[in-house]
Amino acid sequence: MSNPIRDGFRAGLAQGELLVQKCNDCGGLNMYPRHACPHCQSLSLGWQKASGRGILHSYTVLRQGAPQGFEGDLPYALGVVKLQEGVQLLGRLIPDPDGNWDSYKCDDTVEFTPVSAESIERRPCASFKRINP
Amino acid sequence: MADTWPLNVDAKSPNDPVFVGTGELPSGRYPDRNFIGDLTHVGLLALKDAQMVPRHVDTILLIPNLHSAVDQADLIFSRMAEELGLIGHLKSSFMVHSGGSTSDNAVRLASGLIASGHARTVLVLQCERWGSADLNEMVTMLSKYGIPNEWEMPTGLQFNAIGALITRRYMHATQSSPEAMASVCVTLRKWAQLNPNAMYYGKPLTVEKVLSSKMVAEPLHALECPMLADGAVAFVMTSAENAKKRGLETTVRVAGSGGCVSHYSIGQEPDLAKLGWATAAKRAYEQSGWGPKDAQIAQIYDTYAAVTAAAVEGLEFCEPGEGARWFQSGAADPGGTLPCNTNGGMLSAGHTGVGGGTALLVEGVRQLLWRAPSQRQVTGVQRCIVGGTGGSYMDAQVLLLERTSKGGK
Ligand SMILES: [Zn+2]
Repeated sequence: MSNPIRDGFRAGLAQGELLVQKCNDCGGLNMYPRHACPHCQSLSLGWQKASGRGILHSYTVLRQGAPQGFEGDLPYALGVVKLQEGVQLLGRLIPDPDGNWDSYKCDDTVEFTPVSAESIERRPCASFKRINP
Repeated sequence: MADTWPLNVDAKSPNDPVFVGTGELPSGRYPDRNFIGDLTHVGLLALKDAQMVPRHVDTILLIPNLHSAVDQADLIFSRMAEELGLIGHLKSSFMVHSGGSTSDNAVRLASGLIASGHARTVLVLQCERWGSADLNEMVTMLSKYGIPNEWEMPTGLQFNAIGALITRRYMHATQSSPEAMASVCVTLRKWAQLNPNAMYYGKPLTVEKVLSSKMVAEPLHALECPMLADGAVAFVMTSAENAKKRGLETTVRVAGSGGCVSHYSIGQEPDLAKLGWATAAKRAYEQSGWGPKDAQIAQIYDTYAAVTAAAVEGLEFCEPGEGARWFQSGAADPGGTLPCNTNGGMLSAGHTGVGGGTALLVEGVRQLLWRAPSQRQVTGVQRCIVGGTGGSYMDAQVLLLERTSKGGK
């Protein structure tokens, strides 16, 4: 099914960029991207490259019960990130060097981290990494 | 949006919508039962409780099942009219759906139909066969429902992870200990020991046992996650005038309701430790003139302890941030100051999908009719607060229910 908004966002990820939708009329930022601006209902919508920095609102490490097709990814961590730009999204969290996520805490500063285009092809979602304070 | 929604009916209105009967089948794993059979039997139980037969019903509302799209189509396309012998008699039969909060919205809908005159007597039916369905199939289905396919499905999100995201934030924001979170599950299990229809009847639980079960989705342990179950419940609503005409002296009316849709996708919830409960509660209290101290029991959606803890805070049963510790204090236990989820809730009576919230609602009505089994009937209860939520905890829904009785009791 054709979906230019989804495809535009994913093209950004494949190029190592986190794109946030920007309304060409009111300048409002939308995440997730919408089919009409939820602030002013404009249909003229573009992209802005996000700073990539945000606060980790919450996170979890899934250890079992992965959806079909995700079994081989276990364990993996998901987090809700509030970006500096004032919008938020769910993404994956990159593990600590030891393969766990023990260093992560709620309200940590995290940063968007590009992953390979191959990886985005397989799992088209943003990844974040904790920034050492 | 308007700040207040005054009800157009009161306890003296002839068209005031009231509950007059409930029915329930045991929840758990019942491979020997079947979908249409359970719907038929539970409907007849509710009608019997209301001293009615199917011919007294003019409208059937169906609460959806999630185990099978084909079975769900039977709900949509009036099969129950045929099964109950109402062909040519029934005015309307249709499904209502907002996931876990469907029961709250079904009550609003039935109330509106009755108050406006579009219906006189409404039978609401629910059955789920999750306990006997293929578990892997259900887990995969639950990783697609309520999750945006373009934006969140590629992360590998699923239902326990959603519960875990809420739990983690709740524990961080309120500094609630793992023991306090587990105590919510233990309270529910205590109630389930008084409910022979509960999945975990006869299976007591301790905080230690919860915390020593395996980690599923950090910080959630296996025994903090709901178990999918088969189950069926039903209830009957009619007008106060019709109830009176039929000699039904005790009924339950809807004193008010409030709701708040706070997100669709979990990644868009502004505060995972709070959700929409405070707004929903404020709207319900304003409509009814009630406050948090005006009810003697509560039945609050409880797939995960943090959802319920956030709810009791939003409803102001305790101070902000104290929800889990409020449970830990025993306040919601049998004999506590505000008994909650007196059927054992979804975590201990069984998660019957969209039916879990319906079972809690029906338990509230049953308690107010003073028809709960004696071991768990809360003596003299007059008012109950019901809380529901659906999807990825997309909404908070609050119903305020009160007993009305001819003798004034
Ligand atoms: Zn705009």
